[in-house]
Amino acid sequence: MKFDEYPSVGFFYDSLSFQFPYFAAVIQKQIDSFGDHWLKLFENELKVFFSNDKKRIDQAVRGYGKFSLDSMKLQVKFQKAKEYENKTYEEAASEVYQNKEYMFGLYLPGILLSHYLWRHHFLQHIFFLEKFLPLVGSGDGKVFYDIGVGTGFYSKEMLTRTKLKGRGFDLSPHSLEHTLMLLGAHNVANRYEANLRDIIKEPVTPAADYLVNIEVLEHLEDPQMFLNFLTKMLKSGGYGLISAAINAPNADHIYLYRNSDEVASHLVRAGFEIVDSTVDAAYTPRTEGDIVPVNAAFIVTKKEGR
Amino acid sequence: MGQKIIDSITPIFREVFDDPSLIVTKELSANDVKNWDSLNHIILIVELETLTGLFFSTDELVNLKNVGDFVQLLAEKGYRG
Repeated sequence: MKFDEYPSVGFFYDSLSFQFPYFAAVIQKQIDSFGDHWLKLFENELKVFFSNDKKRIDQAVRGYGKFSLDSMKLQVKFQKAKEYENKTYEEAASEVYQNKEYMFGLYLPGILLSHYLWRHHFLQHIFFLEKFLPLVGSGDGKVFYDIGVGTGFYSKEMLTRTKLKGRGFDLSPHSLEHTLMLLGAHNVANRYEANLRDIIKEPVTPAADYLVNIEVLEHLEDPQMFLNFLTKMLKSGGYGLISAAINAPNADHIYLYRNSDEVASHLVRAGFEIVDSTVDAAYTPRTEGDIVPVNAAFIVTKKEGR
Repeated sequence: MGQKIIDSITPIFREVFDDPSLIVTKELSANDVKNWDSLNHIILIVELETLTGLFFSTDELVNLKNVGDFVQLLAEKGYRG
């Protein structure tokens, strides 16, 4: 493969091929599916966040490989058990969110790179660009909240593509640290405030013009209760992008959504109105009956007076 | 001992990669087998865990690049084939 115009992607491919040869085909698959658009976005992220630093890219590849091996192994077991491993939120928090070594060694680089390397995550990004961002416009003078910032990827996208100001909320100090690193690399941290805060125990006011809440619901024991609080954080007439992982076991996935209708039902019950949605599988099932991880993303609004 | 382990895991490699005539050697890697992609790699690992009754941690999985690595890990964990 030749990457003359995309040297960082080329180095990434070489590193992936060396460390995890069985994962290397994903690069060609993404190019075949998404072409130059994908190459440009991925090259830019590697150049800006990883500063073309080969050592950092090697480490990120290792983290991505471990993260993917972990979740794929759980997926094979899920295929038989059809249930997530029984875990409380406290257990997941201790094992994952509060564990700096796990977060920076595996989880955060894994999720950040998955936005480019996993088909359903990149399709969610396209949905964000094509359907959600036009509703935001320039965002001048307006505010968004990102609840459950994860790596900070969607906070970064909101800030770099608009003039919005943002507030991010998470229970993991390591997620917030990573988010500020990402925003700093993209020179947008001055329009952002990162908060270590439980939005249920300490509700956030005032309501924001826009919300992003990306793949958080499946991490909770009671996503319906969380959504009931989330509704109050969006202004009437504002827009939110809310997504959830379906049939996708992970070390910290607790609530099992078996289809997108279940997610939609939770959103409507919480008081959101669904404007648009996309439901995307990670890959094509190999045989009939294979359970494939799916991502469901919804653009929601809140009617005046609610 | 290495060859005994290879002999005992060869049927799993042949089944997972859907190649009844696959010759399994210590040097064999994903670069040599058409169907050795990410999904089959994981299925291979889970099948090997089932065969041997052993569990491989993520840190151990990261270092498995060819059959020789699999054999070494299995031997270190006490599997004799």
